[in-house]
Amino acid sequence: MRGRGGLGALGTVGVALLLALPWILSQGLLNASIQMLIAALFACAYNLLAGQAGMLSFGHAAYFGVGAFATVHAMNAFGGSGLLPTPLMPLAGALAGLIFGAIAGWFATQRTGAYFAMITLAIAELLHALAPHFKGLFGGEGGVSSTRMPSMGVTFGSTTQMYYLVLAWVLASLLALYLYTLTPLGRLTLGLRENSHRLRFLGYDVHKLSVLVFSISAMFSGIAGSLQVINNEAANYIVFDAGQSTAVVLNTYIGGARVFLGPAFGAALMTFFGYAVSDLTQSWLLYQGILFALVMMFAPSGLAGLFGMPDRLRRRFGTAAVVPFFALALASIVLLTAGTVFLVELLQRILSQDYRALAAGAPPWPPISLFGRQWSPAAAVTWLLPAAGVACGAATMLLARHKLALLEGRQEDTAAEPRAIEGERTPA
Amino acid sequence: MSEAILTVRGLRKSFGQHEIIRGVNLDLLADERHALIGPNGAGKSTVFHLISGDLAPSAGQIVFAGKRIDGKPPQQINRMGLARSFQVTNIFPGLTVFENVRLAVMRAHGLQYSFWSFIDRNAKVREHTESLLEQVRLQQRASAVAGEMAYSEQRSLEIALALASDPEVILLDEPMAGMSREETAYTADLIRTVTRGRALLIVEHDMEVVFQISDRISVLVYGEVIATGKPDEIRNNAAVKEAYLGEEVSR
Amino acid sequence: MDTLIVSLLNGVIYGLLLFMVSAGLTLVFGMMGVLNFAHASFYMLGAYFAYALQGTLGFWGAVVVSPLLVGLIGVIVERFVLRRVHRYGHGHELLLTFGLSIIIAELVKLCFGNFPVNYRVPASLDFAAFAVGNSDYPFYRVLMGAVAIAMFVLIFLLLTRTRVGIVVRSAIYKPRMAEALGHNVPAVFMGVFGVGAALAGLAGAVAGAFYTTNPNMAIDLGVVVFVVVVVGGLGSLSGAMLASLLIGVVTSLAVGVDASLADLLGLIGARAWAERIGGLFTLKLSSLAATIPFALMLVVLLVRPGGLLGEKA
Repeated sequence: MRGRGGLGALGTVGVALLLALPWILSQGLLNASIQMLIAALFACAYNLLAGQAGMLSFGHAAYFGVGAFATVHAMNAFGGSGLLPTPLMPLAGALAGLIFGAIAGWFATQRTGAYFAMITLAIAELLHALAPHFKGLFGGEGGVSSTRMPSMGVTFGSTTQMYYLVLAWVLASLLALYLYTLTPLGRLTLGLRENSHRLRFLGYDVHKLSVLVFSISAMFSGIAGSLQVINNEAANYIVFDAGQSTAVVLNTYIGGARVFLGPAFGAALMTFFGYAVSDLTQSWLLYQGILFALVMMFAPSGLAGLFGMPDRLRRRFGTAAVVPFFALALASIVLLTAGTVFLVELLQRILSQDYRALAAGAPPWPPISLFGRQWSPAAAVTWLLPAAGVACGAATMLLARHKLALLEGRQEDTAAEPRAIEGERTPA
Repeated sequence: MSEAILTVRGLRKSFGQHEIIRGVNLDLLADERHALIGPNGAGKSTVFHLISGDLAPSAGQIVFAGKRIDGKPPQQINRMGLARSFQVTNIFPGLTVFENVRLAVMRAHGLQYSFWSFIDRNAKVREHTESLLEQVRLQQRASAVAGEMAYSEQRSLEIALALASDPEVILLDEPMAGMSREETAYTADLIRTVTRGRALLIVEHDMEVVFQISDRISVLVYGEVIATGKPDEIRNNAAVKEAYLGEEVSR
Repeated sequence: MDTLIVSLLNGVIYGLLLFMVSAGLTLVFGMMGVLNFAHASFYMLGAYFAYALQGTLGFWGAVVVSPLLVGLIGVIVERFVLRRVHRYGHGHELLLTFGLSIIIAELVKLCFGNFPVNYRVPASLDFAAFAVGNSDYPFYRVLMGAVAIAMFVLIFLLLTRTRVGIVVRSAIYKPRMAEALGHNVPAVFMGVFGVGAALAGLAGAVAGAFYTTNPNMAIDLGVVVFVVVVVGGLGSLSGAMLASLLIGVVTSLAVGVDASLADLLGLIGARAWAERIGGLFTLKLSSLAATIPFALMLVVLLVRPGGLLGEKA
């Protein structure tokens, strides 16, 4: 099939590119790539439960974290040799994730829907609250640290070697997760999402199935946590924070839960941007939240779901007709983003404690340095600029949608009635 | 004749203050086609829920193949050999028709927890699924998304799901709702063929179909069975006529 | 004995506070079938708005106006944000409210800073209500409890005794039928959502002065509120009240208990052994007080999966 062949070629190119990265990227970017790979695996593991089985977990950091701590202790215990040489360390994370996932899953899957979500949140919070008290296991404020030990002739000292270890495990895990979807259990997972009630009447023990799926998802999450610990050589109970659970949810749905690699794409994108802009702004989580909300409202199948759109529209209406629409849509996105970011960053600085102290007196208030220029908060242009950006962006978006509606309407019209011949007067 | 494979004795069900099922007695013989008729709200679907394990009775006994099943969970009852279809279509809407039926078929082949083999490679499962699709005339629609099909096609899918586990007892709840004359005739034939040698309990409003295919009929009114018997007996039963059938059937 | 009474009183009042917040959540869930993740965010907004307004409107003015503002935000959220995604299903709506909770928390950090703000009980209300043994019991705590009880009575009467209440209950139970009878069900949804938000805002405005007001208060309280509804059963006001009081009292009593498992084992002479093992055995109950709601939830799930008052799973 043409489609399959194209996908296979894309996949091979992708893997080849990933293999070549250490020659292309700087150390810093390579480290970021490691983070992106780990986040991608975590998101796909999460999506097994959320997108495929339809069970929304809001506390998945628990299984990531359990895998992390199991690994750091295993690293200290085995020292790179024996039962678990360094390259096989993630197995410790997998086992811990699997066991803890089975226990937690047994409780959580007693209920469904919103109840299930709340229980998963509470389990993660429980772990987060308990961890500081068990210094032996979780190491208190400083966490538990370890060192990567050489094994099988490789030192695992350089970022490049770490990168290949992580890449191998992530690719293997993603492959396993993909193959899972082709098995009977994989299809039953979809059945759980679509109609778990009916599954009972077909003879399936839905609770057992749910616990199994939950455990497998937790297992792969544990592998992801494990890889992070091997990379960082430390684990800290801050990993049980709500922030980690939040991040994986945002990544998955921004990417798209219905496409297999959608969550991986979302995670890679968000991790990359986080790495790139986290020094530039304090409001990165706000931007993520806004993007997430917009995706849920206007692009419900995620960004990955949008990939097919240009091609579909081009085939329906022809390239000439669609180009203006895409130009407008792109322009509007740029304007809206620029305007919003400007506004948020401006407010961030004006409302900060430091600035408030500086501006404590009467006007004139000191100017704010932003994007390489100085902006006076009293000047109209400082506010009009972002406002204009947002307004123009919104207007352009409306124009783009109008264009699309015209295209769709025209298609229906040409099917219904013949067009008037050019030049001919239409009767009054 | 044969023995009763399903017996219901003194079945009662209340929701809060309201008693919906007030002492139902029913015998289903091992190879009979038994219709359950009655006015709307009589509790026919509720009886199905109670037998299939969706609800637990407030009182009474349900015995299937010599074992008590009242209050047992649905998956257990299904594995014992009882399958049902639903009045309100209860399929897997986002999956294709083929996938829908395959989910039902997999369990019969013992594949519920298997993650070490690829389902597409399993020829037996595929053939079983395809034959079921042919039986309900959905083989052309195999790759259609179930939730986007016409209502009557979804009803056919419902029947396929109930048949997949090759059950000894089949409960069909208004299987032909929304079907055209031709579809109804075909489905009635299908039901007759497929239930040969099995026990069928069917709820239907189409009286022609009921009288055509049933060996016996029970009439449920306000949560009680007021009459049971062969179609002719029911047709001429005064209490039934008064409560339910009216003038039409005596024509 | 005195500490016990004080702990008990504190627990009851904390429980009533939990109820104030979970009541709105329960109503909205019963109505829309969607858990509003941002509900505790409305609680937080109530506290912050009251803090921001008390300079210009005084304490009482702020406590009255703040819930109204939060209610307005609730209405806007329902009409322009949530309504758009009704058709994608409950899970989708839940995720969107999750995103909203993040946005609200970040906006609060943006405007007020990522640290607690100085929202305090005004001096006029900072006196003792009565004495318990040697210590004074603060009036403000009693006030919080009174507001919660008044709120419960008001909602109950509103829902059961007024025409509006009957319409709301019918819209909750059978929205299509209510619509067929000519009632504007979307407007009812909007109204109930707004009222639910306003109730949470009121709880925040009142409690934020006593407890801390900081950008994490939504998450901290939100998780406990979720435990309340799992334990009590979502959709049941009385279940929410029961679970709230239970969790409030047990948590409060635990905070005052400095004993640990080692102490318990000391009764049979095994204290030294337990202390040598350390870890779980020497953990004081008071340090674990925050984890008790979660433990309670897990126990309830084991014993009564349907919640204390037996709601549908």
